[in-house]
Amino acid sequence: MSLRILGAHKVFHARGARVTALGGIDLEARDGELLVIVGPSGSGKSTLLRAVAGLEPLDAGRILIGDRDVTGVPAGRRDVAMVFQEAALFPHLSVAANIGIGERARGSDRRAVEARVRSVAETLAVDHLLGRMPGELSGGERQRVALARVMIRVPAVCLLDEPLASVDAELRLRMRGEIRTVQRSLGVPMVHVTHDQVEAMAMGDRVAVMDAGRVLQCDTPAEVYARPATMAVARIFGPLPMNLLPVDEGTVVGLRPERVRVCLPEAGGRAGSVVEVEPAGEECLVRVKPDDANTDLLARLPWSDAPTVGDRVTVSWRPQDEHHFNATTGERR
Amino acid sequence: MAVKRHVAAVGPHKGTAPTAASRGRGVGAAIRRWPLAVPYLLGSLLLVIVPLALAAALAFTDYFGFRPPEFTGADNLVRLAGDRAFWDAVGVSAVIAVIVVPLRLFLAVGAALLLARPRGARTAVGRAAAYLPSAIPDAAWALLWLWILNPLYGPLPAVLGALGVADPGFLTTPWGARAGLVLVMALQVGEAFIVALAARAAIPNRLYEAIELEGGSAWFAMTRVTLPLMAPIVLVLAVRDIVVVVQNAFVPAMLVTDGGPANATLTAPLLIYRRAFEYGELGYASTLSVTLLVLTGVAAALPLWLAARLAARQRTRA
Repeated sequence: MSLRILGAHKVFHARGARVTALGGIDLEARDGELLVIVGPSGSGKSTLLRAVAGLEPLDAGRILIGDRDVTGVPAGRRDVAMVFQEAALFPHLSVAANIGIGERARGSDRRAVEARVRSVAETLAVDHLLGRMPGELSGGERQRVALARVMIRVPAVCLLDEPLASVDAELRLRMRGEIRTVQRSLGVPMVHVTHDQVEAMAMGDRVAVMDAGRVLQCDTPAEVYARPATMAVARIFGPLPMNLLPVDEGTVVGLRPERVRVCLPEAGGRAGSVVEVEPAGEECLVRVKPDDANTDLLARLPWSDAPTVGDRVTVSWRPQDEHHFNATTGERR
Repeated sequence: MAVKRHVAAVGPHKGTAPTAASRGRGVGAAIRRWPLAVPYLLGSLLLVIVPLALAAALAFTDYFGFRPPEFTGADNLVRLAGDRAFWDAVGVSAVIAVIVVPLRLFLAVGAALLLARPRGARTAVGRAAAYLPSAIPDAAWALLWLWILNPLYGPLPAVLGALGVADPGFLTTPWGARAGLVLVMALQVGEAFIVALAARAAIPNRLYEAIELEGGSAWFAMTRVTLPLMAPIVLVLAVRDIVVVVQNAFVPAMLVTDGGPANATLTAPLLIYRRAFEYGELGYASTLSVTLLVLTGVAAALPLWLAARLAARQRTRA
């Protein structure tokens, strides 16, 4: 069963001001697909997720799960499961009771729930924690328990609201894989909201880039990276924001910092000087101020090639690495 | 005493320059901190500890206020054991507490849950109304109820009569008078309401959203999430209410019912007051006072024990 969002509109009224959280969203998460929604904070991605869950009513638009229109259906009858930011575990209940609370809420017998809890906990390797309280768990363990709470049943759709935001970097890497495993075993559409584009690129079958209440592009991570549909996508999506250089007749040239070459002054290209060098392990980020432009250029170079601040250099790139955007509409040419 | 200990601890270092840390934690900090506690300690000492110690001492004497107290050993305790009037009064206090304490908690927590979500002016009016009875001085509140309940022109008997309900005789029959006392004490729950409201507000909203998504009913959310999470605070309120209802039932019992009819509302504090200041038996009244304190302490410990057991069960069985 797929999840389809059709023409979703939502406006918030806050102290007299109108804030458009969702300005007409059309999106589909196919069966068994992990769709990542990525965007800066305030882009409307969490509102969209809450609307799918049924926690936030839409002003206009429809939500379909399979062929079922769930737009007006209360959250509890949508058959949607969600992992919340900060896990939303019940602090007064043991891990076992936390995992089983959904089944208990739906009126299942305690004995039956206990058996299911045990088997799900074993799958996610949290069975040794069943007797603990949430306060005694680490951040990663908490999220794993939250995942177990989702996995105890097979929902029609599974939603994740920045589940890895409060997990440290090393664990985040491992949890990404675990979430993918859960998603594959459930085989249902999973929508994962994040502001971390690295996570989006690593996890998504497809990625929807959102900004200011709109979906700017929805495609595979490789395609969004290779051919960003707008300048905004080019800046939001990718390990580093794209360089955007205004050139003549209303065109902006976009360049990935990974594709910018920085050479000695005698080499061909645009002359400029290095204003900033930031080490990044094996590599470094270099900011160059070209002599003939006001916009700095960001370049990613191997650490062995790192210049020093104040060096005179030339920057160049291959023509096929240029992305061209319309300067007024921001759209790709 | 603690100050002295600090000084002794720092002593051996005399002559060496104190480090910033030792200066922060040592005598200086203690000297800066202690004055803040002094007013409270002084107040507790003068208003609680000393009178309590005096009462405990007087409990074993005959004392009428004109001559120095006369030590009588266990005489007062022997008298206490056979004092039907006192044990009847303790019974009256207990009956009223058993009815009033749960009622007060129910009203305070119920109002807090109903008024937890801000819904504009309605919530503001509701919250003010729930708190207002506690803003009225106890004596004024009691006299107000004397008017509301009186059988001749009181509005409550009149309304009940108009509805065809038999007049329970609020001030004239034993159980009617007790019911009247319950009414007077049940509605002054402003402080408990505020505390319960704060306890409810501290529960994160996403817990309710999680329940909502799992298809849990409002009843499920209240019984499995709201009440268990509020329980530790409701418990403190219960302990406090037991003390307040038993000890402070004095004002309404004296002003509204004056212990009557036929001693049906003669609560323990009112009886002790009469012993002490109408019969002048300050020594024996002290015996009764200390006994009541011990009994209240035992009663207040009960909810603590009960809650510990409930929490242990809740943890694993949700």
